[in-house]
Amino acid sequence: MSTTGERSTGTVYEQVQASPEFADLRRRLRRFVFPMSVAFLAWYLAYVLLASYAPGFMAIKVLGNINIGLIIGLLQFVSTFAITTIYVRYANKHLDPAAEKIRQQIEGAE
Amino acid sequence: MSTPALVALVAIALVGIASAVIGSVGVRVARSTSDFLVASRTVGTVSNAGAISGEYLSAASFLGIAGLILREGADALWYPIAFAAGYLALVLFVAAPLRRSGAYTVPDFAEARLSSPALRRACTTCVLVIGWLYLLPQLQGAGLALTTLTTLPAWSGVAAAGVIVVLTVIGGGMRSITFVQAFQYWLKFTALAVPAVVVLGFFLSDARTFDRAAPPNFTADTTVQVRTPVVLEVAERVRLQVDGEVNGRPAHGRVTWEPGRYEVAADTSLGFVIGSAVPTVVGAPATDRAWLEPMSGSAPHQLLEIYSILVAGFLGTMGMPHVLVRFYTNPDGRAARRTTVVVLAMIGSFYMLVTFMGALSRLYTPQLLVSGQTDAAVLLVPTAVLGDGWAGWLLGGLVAAGAAAAFLATSSGLVVSLAGVVFTDLLRGRLRDFRLAALVSAIVPLPLALSVTRLDFALTVPLVFAVAASTFCPLLVLGIWWRGLTASGALAGVLVGGGLSGLAVCLTLFATVPSGWVGVLLHRPAALTVPAAFLTMVVVSMLTRAQIPPGVDGTLLRLHAPERLGLSHDRLDPQA
Repeated sequence: MSTTGERSTGTVYEQVQASPEFADLRRRLRRFVFPMSVAFLAWYLAYVLLASYAPGFMAIKVLGNINIGLIIGLLQFVSTFAITTIYVRYANKHLDPAAEKIRQQIEGAE
Repeated sequence: MSTPALVALVAIALVGIASAVIGSVGVRVARSTSDFLVASRTVGTVSNAGAISGEYLSAASFLGIAGLILREGADALWYPIAFAAGYLALVLFVAAPLRRSGAYTVPDFAEARLSSPALRRACTTCVLVIGWLYLLPQLQGAGLALTTLTTLPAWSGVAAAGVIVVLTVIGGGMRSITFVQAFQYWLKFTALAVPAVVVLGFFLSDARTFDRAAPPNFTADTTVQVRTPVVLEVAERVRLQVDGEVNGRPAHGRVTWEPGRYEVAADTSLGFVIGSAVPTVVGAPATDRAWLEPMSGSAPHQLLEIYSILVAGFLGTMGMPHVLVRFYTNPDGRAARRTTVVVLAMIGSFYMLVTFMGALSRLYTPQLLVSGQTDAAVLLVPTAVLGDGWAGWLLGGLVAAGAAAAFLATSSGLVVSLAGVVFTDLLRGRLRDFRLAALVSAIVPLPLALSVTRLDFALTVPLVFAVAASTFCPLLVLGIWWRGLTASGALAGVLVGGGLSGLAVCLTLFATVPSGWVGVLLHRPAALTVPAAFLTMVVVSMLTRAQIPPGVDGTLLRLHAPERLGLSHDRLDPQA
């Protein structure tokens, strides 16, 4: 983009920074990233706590050699993948359109 | 040299040659510095995801995780979970803003955010220390693979890995490395998937199960050579042939071990007959049933240890130089996101395969539990299952090729990112110097890899991640998300985190570590050093509030505004 240099001026920064659209964009990002991280960490630490304080529960056999501890362990991979997929969907659906709107406003103002 | 050893050597050589050929094809398209360092940011999603996964899944993942599963069972799941989750933390907190900052190394980021030369120097030192420390287990893994599969000495594997890495990196830099690493990912994946399917076939037609309150049994008459001193736990009475030193006294001939603990000195050979119970290294779960359940081993302070490993893996991944630099090879944030999903699918399925191979190795290679060389499990399972014959040798060769791909991929990624730092911070020059920088980056860790006794991947890898988690994680997370961070605060935090974790690394590598919680914290420092680094950074920043850079709002805006706004600029491009 050839206009990049001209854009990097204090006025454009300040303008964007102050705009409600940018505040909205940051809010959307925070509203997703922080609750998701908390949920993930809770699930992750729950595994450790269950393993140390409820070994009997973790040892319950489900199928053949497979016990609940192993299932929760493998589910950790699944949840990591699921969260990433949800994040990408969210970003494509909610973050990119918001960014696009700000961009159009800047271009309209110039 | 025996036939299986030759097959393995040929397979490893083929990987080296194939990597060099793919690398040299890349050379023809590498024209500028930007091509060398960040592949001109024009790599497609699937190749890039393959390269990221190929680079991330090191020898430690290929060999180490299966070895851990063999020894620790359900407890070893923490490691792959922490490493996969670390990738998630990187993506959620750091990847996109860092991509927008236009910096492509942590020192660059530190300078762009806080403009302090002292902080930049501290970061450069940290990148070099982390990179070289992480090259150490990779190179030693190459040595382990070569001694396990052939009769060649370990140093030849270390040296050969060093030479191949230098050649591929000097040949084409990041752009060719991308294709080489993508190739290496698929090779690693195949090298695990094929044996896993074959071994599963044998396992399903096998009457044995893990659900027994007894230790595993030897599947053939086995003689184990103990190379490093080990304490064994015997859960079930066993008769064996000893030649060497046990419990501090010379021992020769047939003996019977009652349940209890036995200290076996180095260079002792232990001969077991088929069907006898396998003694296990002390601290690991002794029976199969305990092995299936989490937290069942007898090692003390397990909760502290596990939390420490989780912290190191979860927060350390974002600080690994070779992982970070990969995000600049995406053309934009949208592509970076798409890449991430593919990467996590690739990493996740790889870890599941490794876990599975590790579990099966408990049935087929239990002798590794006695010698303590559990890291060799994946390499030995094919021949243990298929027996001596071409089927077993070829499958063994495939696994050897996968192992070679694993340490080559990670080592070359590390060398490229280290060379990037050496090139921009230490040499400051033209393209010729980049090649020199790559050479320097690869040669420095070689003497260390040759002289230090090899430790388990389970020990060395979380240590390196702990150093990254205690230095770069707080710097990146606070630098991106907190406007109050100051240069003094960042510097103090990096020094405290780096100093404490560095001390733990030195003591673990070069000294005998005391037992108890002090020992656990020296082996697994992250639980202490990461909070210490964060706390130092926050407190010192608040004390030096006057130092907050005046342009901080503009900088943060650039980090958080999507690149479609056209506000970000790349540091490497001429127009920036």
